[in-house]
Parts: sequence; C-alpha cells; structure tokens
Amino acid sequence: MSAATPQCRHARLLIGADPRHLPADVQAHVESCVGCRRFRDETLALDARLQAALELPLPDFRQRPAAPRRWYALAASIFLGLLIAGGAWLYRPSVALAGELVEHVAHEAGSWDQRRQVPAATVADVLRQAGVQFDPTLPVVYAMACPFHGRLMPHFVVQTDHGPMTVMLLPDEKVRVRTRFTEGGYHGVLLPAGEGGVAVLSREGEVPDSVAGQVISGVHW
Amino acid sequence: MNAASRGTTGEAAFTRLLAMLRPDLMRFAFWLARDRAVAEDVVQETLIRAWKSREELKDPAAARPWLFTIVRREHARLYERKRLPTVDVDEVEALGDPALASDGDAGLIDLRRAIMKLPSDYREPLVLQVLGGFSTAEIAAELGLTQPAVLTRLFRARNRLREAYGLQGVEDVE
Repeated sequence: MSAATPQCRHARLLIGADPRHLPADVQAHVESCVGCRRFRDETLALDARLQAALELPLPDFRQRPAAPRRWYALAASIFLGLLIAGGAWLYRPSVALAGELVEHVAHEAGSWDQRRQVPAATVADVLRQAGVQFDPTLPVVYAMACPFHGRLMPHFVVQTDHGPMTVMLLPDEKVRVRTRFTEGGYHGVLLPAGEGGVAVLSREGEVPDSVAGQVISGVHW
Repeated sequence: MNAASRGTTGEAAFTRLLAMLRPDLMRFAFWLARDRAVAEDVVQETLIRAWKSREELKDPAAARPWLFTIVRREHARLYERKRLPTVDVDEVEALGDPALASDGDAGLIDLRRAIMKLPSDYREPLVLQVLGGFSTAEIAAELGLTQPAVLTRLFRARNRLREAYGLQGVEDVE
C-alpha cells in the first residue's frame, strides 16, 4: 500500500467502514490514487466473502437439537411451522423467487445509483467467481458476485434507453415460463434460460421485451 | 372490501413477510448470540412479538430493520432474564458448530471464525450493515452511537478481518 496522505487516511477510513457507499469526493480521490483504489478493490472483495460468511447455510442450523425450551416456545414452534407452511402454500415457486430477488435488490439499493461503466475485467471476474458465461451487450455500471441460495450469483446493473436495470443470472434456479412480476416498487421479469433463469428488474416501469431479449441473448450456459 | 377481509389479507401478507425474512433473522440472532439454541429462542420470541405488534409496521419496506431491532432487543432481554453466561469464543470453536463449516470452503470457515472472535462492539455494527443492510446513520441510531464512532468500529472490524482473508491490515484510525 502506498504512503498514506491525510486524504488517503480519510478515504481508507470511509472505504473500510462502508466500501459500497462512498461520497463523491472520496470516490474521485480513489480513482486518482493507486493505493486507495487497491484498498477499495481489496475491501470490496473482502465484503463479498464477508457476506457469504455471514449468510450461514440454514439447513445445517436444524441438524442439532436446540436446548430445552419453555412451554410457550413449543407453541411458537407450531406457529412458526404454520408461518412457513402458509408462505409456501400462498406463493408459487416463481413468485417466491421474485420476492427473494426483490429483497436482495432492495438490500443493495446503492447499486442503482452507479453511473460509471465497470471495466470488462471486473465483469469477467464476477462471472468467473460465479462460474457463469454471459456476454453483456449493454453497458454494465455495477457488477458484484452476491451470495444467493448457497452460491454466488452475478448481479449487474446495466444502462438501457429505459433507465438502469438490474440483471441477475440464476443458472441453478428453474424458471419454467417467462413470468412478469411487480413487488416492492420494482417491476421485473423472470426469463427461462436453459436449465436456469435470468431476472431483469426495473424501478421505472415494466421491463421492455426488447431489453429482456437483449439480456437473454447474452446467456451462454 | 370489508374490514374483515382487509384484515385477513394484511395478516396473510405479514405472514409471508415473516417467512421470507426469517432466515436472515436467524442468521442475525446467531451472530449476536454465537449460540444456535439461544438464536432459535431469540427468533421465536421475535416472531411472536412482531406478530403482536404488526399494526405498528406501516411500511412493509421497513420490515427488515424493524425486525432486526426486535431481534436485538429480544437478545438483550433473554440474557437479562436468564442471566445467561457469555459465550466463550474458544468453546464455540470447540463445539465445531456445523453451521460454521458446512459448506466446506476453508476460506469462509476461517472468516466465520474471525467474525466470531470480533468483540461485540465491532461485530454487531458489521453484521447490521452487511447482513441487515443498515446504513451507517441507521446503525448509529440503532446502537445509540455517533456516526463517526460507527465508522471507526466498522473500519476496525474489517481491518481485523483482512488478516483472516489473507490481506495485510492497514494503519488504524484515531
């Protein structure tokens, strides 16, 4: 890491504290400082692993019996079972998947605000981490390999004539038919792609068929 | 639509919301308590309390931070009520909780152990940010800290984790 000026120390504090939401002045400094840019890239890579580490696989949570409970904990277990069963009954798999994707996108709200095009090498690195092939024909302004359902999912934001749109590649999620959805202020479409699927989400109206077609044409798995 | 059917619809939506967010509540409780059984108790108490207070949630988009706040409070209440002993980090590792090592990724296992070893002052804001999606301002409000204090804690948390990730730590901030 290069010698740190006061400006570098300030930038590294903010990068270390919240690498995905940097103020414009820090962002500008990072772009012009090799040491801070490296620190930012390392911290973003650490954060992707950190998120995967924190997202413990839940099936293993249920392998070990819990400690003895109070009587109403038993009632709570029944209540919880009903909650989960009710949720599964109420919503078909594709709708449940859409809900989880919207939840994920809402969790990374800052991704929509990116304007600067991401280098092709970064996009390639995200795809490599996830083991997925994709040829984005639209400019990518956000690229992250995000933990989702136990594996890394390429999460991109692309710029289109209809505003920014999120593209999520889901090679392991069975999408049987093209499904449009609207949830939590987002409009989206789930697209079948071979054995998996692709999700395209917009905040500014329905995803046009032309954009969906352009995205799906880049999927090669 | 009459009042009764509106209520039924609202309860169904709330039920779905809880089912959707439960996995992350479970994870958050686990990282707070570092004990699976305690985490399960905390989440059960949280769901019951959330259900009773569901009228307080006006905006479904705010459900996640609202529920995380309840998890924090229930975690604190559980320790207060039961006078539970503090979990020893080495004991947690000795137990070899399968949740920590289940995916067989050595790097992730090391990182999880390093997170376990973080002091709660550093671990809690980090988990709120990365898992809970809280902004630094929201973390400050949640923990009753100033925003600069939160920035420092988050910086130090990540700085300690850099080594577990195979990176060099950087100069600390004052």
